This record gives sequence, structure tokens and C-alpha cells, in this order.
Amino acid sequence: MAEIKANKILLVEDEFNIAKLFVYNLTKAGYECEVASNGREGYEKTISYRPDLIISDVMMPEVDGYEFRKMLLQNDELKKIPFVFLTAKGEEDDILQGYDLEIEDYILKTSSPKIVLAKVSAILKTLEKERSKVVDEVSKAADSMGVKVVPEEFPVFEGFEIKHWHQPHKNVPGGDFIDYIKIDNDNIVVVLGDTMGKRWGAWYFAVAYAGYVRSATRFVLEATKDYKPSIILQKVNESVFKDERISDVFITLSIVIINKTDKTARYSGAGDLPLFLKTEKEVTPFLSNGLLLGFSESGEYQDHELKLESGNEIFLVTDGITEARNSNGEMFREEGFIDFLKSVPSNIDTLEALKLKMEEFTAGNYDDDVSVINIKVL
Amino acid sequence: MEIIEEVIDDIVVEIINLDRATLREAEDLKDKTTSKLNAGFNKFIIDLSNVEFIDSTFLGVIVGTLKKAVKNGGDLKLIGFQPNVRAMFELTRLFRVFETYPELQEAIRSFYKK
Repeated sequence: MAEIKANKILLVEDEFNIAKLFVYNLTKAGYECEVASNGREGYEKTISYRPDLIISDVMMPEVDGYEFRKMLLQNDELKKIPFVFLTAKGEEDDILQGYDLEIEDYILKTSSPKIVLAKVSAILKTLEKERSKVVDEVSKAADSMGVKVVPEEFPVFEGFEIKHWHQPHKNVPGGDFIDYIKIDNDNIVVVLGDTMGKRWGAWYFAVAYAGYVRSATRFVLEATKDYKPSIILQKVNESVFKDERISDVFITLSIVIINKTDKTARYSGAGDLPLFLKTEKEVTPFLSNGLLLGFSESGEYQDHELKLESGNEIFLVTDGITEARNSNGEMFREEGFIDFLKSVPSNIDTLEALKLKMEEFTAGNYDDDVSVINIKVL
Repeated sequence: MEIIEEVIDDIVVEIINLDRATLREAEDLKDKTTSKLNAGFNKFIIDLSNVEFIDSTFLGVIVGTLKKAVKNGGDLKLIGFQPNVRAMFELTRLFRVFETYPELQEAIRSFYKK
């Protein structure tokens, strides 16, 4: 820990009591700390003090946090210093505007000292390539914030077995997310998304997108009883497309609505890998037509309707599977995945077999998040 | 250099000299294209002839640049696809939104046709 405690932090905050509290906690944890009371002073101190990390308030007199950040971005040297926004409220507007300015993270002023220190430590350790400790502390912080991108439990849905396998890239929270939304007794929505990028930003956006999808789903479901995944996708796409602050973020999304009474699956996708249907005889990929979310206002989303029978299995996957590589650098590919599904007998748990296969293929070295959802008709 | 930038008239050409274009190099491309967009350029050509694999983060930067270029009245065109990269663009349905050309001169000419 000794080398971490020598790190220098510049805190830019105009509220004296908050600055005092942060300085107290940071110095107690062993960090060296300087304070500036607005963006202009912050900029001057950044030049003279050369901190390892900058934590800055947003609302400040003279030069606010956004302006301060923009000033730093103009300077090739200063813009490399990790930058964290301190926000008064957890509002998406603040947070998303912050990410647009290439910040590392944001901290709520109301966060407990434990979370603040975990985040600060995580960012600095990342720089020092001490990944293992970072993962542990950020995971703890994420847990205490109650933020999840993948449900801990599988949904219970009569007549079906729904489960998933999610392996974050190098155990760091990444851009994949999974969600299950039970609409009523008969219908459940299954969501798999992949946010482009693999670092903390992607993890944050995965959280934000999971929220977007949930809201859009509810909106669509309140307006109609004709449950169509393409309408949910279009709604999410419109919100994302119009939102300038996340214009750099692109996402693939697969949505499946399962109806247990008539045993159907309605599927629509945006830039995603195909849905794979495994029956006793064959494995069929269903490729959706839709564009990546947020790219064009009309995403041209279409629905596939699949009639299911007992024993059928549906697989949704992200590119962590198809682009996984073996020690020779060869990729698993979509064809490899289909061949694998074909090779698994119906009395074997396909998802468990896939985990073993991927472990063997990659020797545990994954290049990306790996996410698979498996829906089996009982 | 992994990414070589040239300016031909008012067109920015980014030559990606990488077998695998991934997260690690995506930042470099983003810095280059952002700086050119900020300087007022809106016409881009990305040469992928040497690229055997492109990951979603790198692809995200290309897509983001296209979106901004179009918004500023320009375009981004791609040249030189190897089979794997072509497959990636087909899979994500991005072939529908990018104009692609076999070689540089043709891509340059396409900017002045309209």
C-alpha cells in the first residue's frame, strides 16, 4: 500500500465543509491532498502541483467543473491526469455530460467515505496496473451502490428454464448486461446488451442502458398488449439517438419475449449476433435486421416469431463467445458455436457444456466480456 | 506508426497498419479523428487493408466518427476489407450505412461526384 499512499490528489471544491471532509478522509487514508476553490484556481494548481488524480465539483463560481475539464482537455499533458467529477445529485444529466468530457468516473457528494476511497484507490491502482485489487474494491463499491448489470438469480418462469453465464473481461465490470422483466403471468422479456468498449465507462453505460431498456419496455407495455420487441427497440433507439451526450456510445441489443401459453418467442435485435434455436435435429441462426442502437433514427427493427416445442433451446450470445481465441490466435466463430451446439446431446446441460468448452478453448484467457442466455422449453 | 494520417485536399485518410484493431488502438484513432473534426474536416477515408480483425470498441470509434462527419455535412468511407473485417461489418449490419470502395482513388473520387 505504501506507493499508493504517496499519490497526490487535487480536490477542486468551493464548499468549505465538503472540502474539509474529503481532505480529512483522503489524508487519513494516506493520500497527499491539495484544495482549490474553483476551476480557474484548479487549473493553476494542476500545473504547479501535478496531481495523480483530480476530483472536481461541477457547480462552482467563476469557472465551473465542466469548463475546468474542457480547459484541461486542451492541454495534451494535463488531460491525461485521471479526472473524477463530484456531483451533488445522481442525475443522469450530470453524469452523462461528465462522461462526454472523458472523465474516469463520478462520485456523489453524499457517498460514504468508504465508496469515495474505493473509487479513488481503484482509479490510481488501474494506472499502476494493480488490477486485482482494483477489481475487488470496485466490486465492493458497486455492490454497496446496489448497481448490477447482470441479475444474480435466474428468473422462474413456468414451463421454461431460463439461465445465463456471464464472465466479465478480466473480472472487471464491463459493457455486457442482462435483464429479465416479467410482464405478466404469461410473458417475460429477456434482454442481452453489449456496450462498445470494455472499461469503466462501458460498465457505467451498461448500467445506464439497462435502465433505458427497462423504462422503454414499461412504456411500450403500458401502451399496448401486443408485445413486440421491435417496438421496445425502436423506443430505446429513439431516446438514445436524440441524446447528444451519449452520441459516442453504441450498443448491440437482443430482446426476446417468451409467451408460455402459446409457447412462442418473439425476437428482435439491434446489431446483435443471431439468436440460435437448437432443436433435436438442427441449430438455426435467426439474424435480426436492426442497426446498432443510437446510430440512425429509424433502426428498421423487425420481429421474428418462433414457435417452440418441448426440448427446444434458445441461445443469445455476445461477441465474447464468437471472438474468443485459442492459444494459436484462432477465433471460435459463429460456425464453431453452431457446431458445438449441434454436438451436445439433448440429455446434457448445454450451458454447462459450453462453459467447459470455452474454458478448454481459451485456456481461461478471454478478450472480452462473455455473456450467454439459455432458454429451454421444458 | 500503427495509424498513419494523411490529408489529401480536404479529405482525411487514416491508414490502419494493424493486424488486430482493438481497444488499445481505438483511443489513438479517436484522438486523431476528433482533432480533425474539431479542425473543421468532415470527409474521412479509413483504410482497413492491413486489418485482419476489428473489435467492437475500434468499430465504435469508426461508427462515431461517421455519425459526426455526416452531422457536419461530410461522410466517412471505408476501403480495403479482409474477409473477417467484412464479416464484422455484415454481422452488425453496418454495411448498410458505410460506403465502401476497393481502393483509395475511387473513394476520393466518390466525394466529388455529388
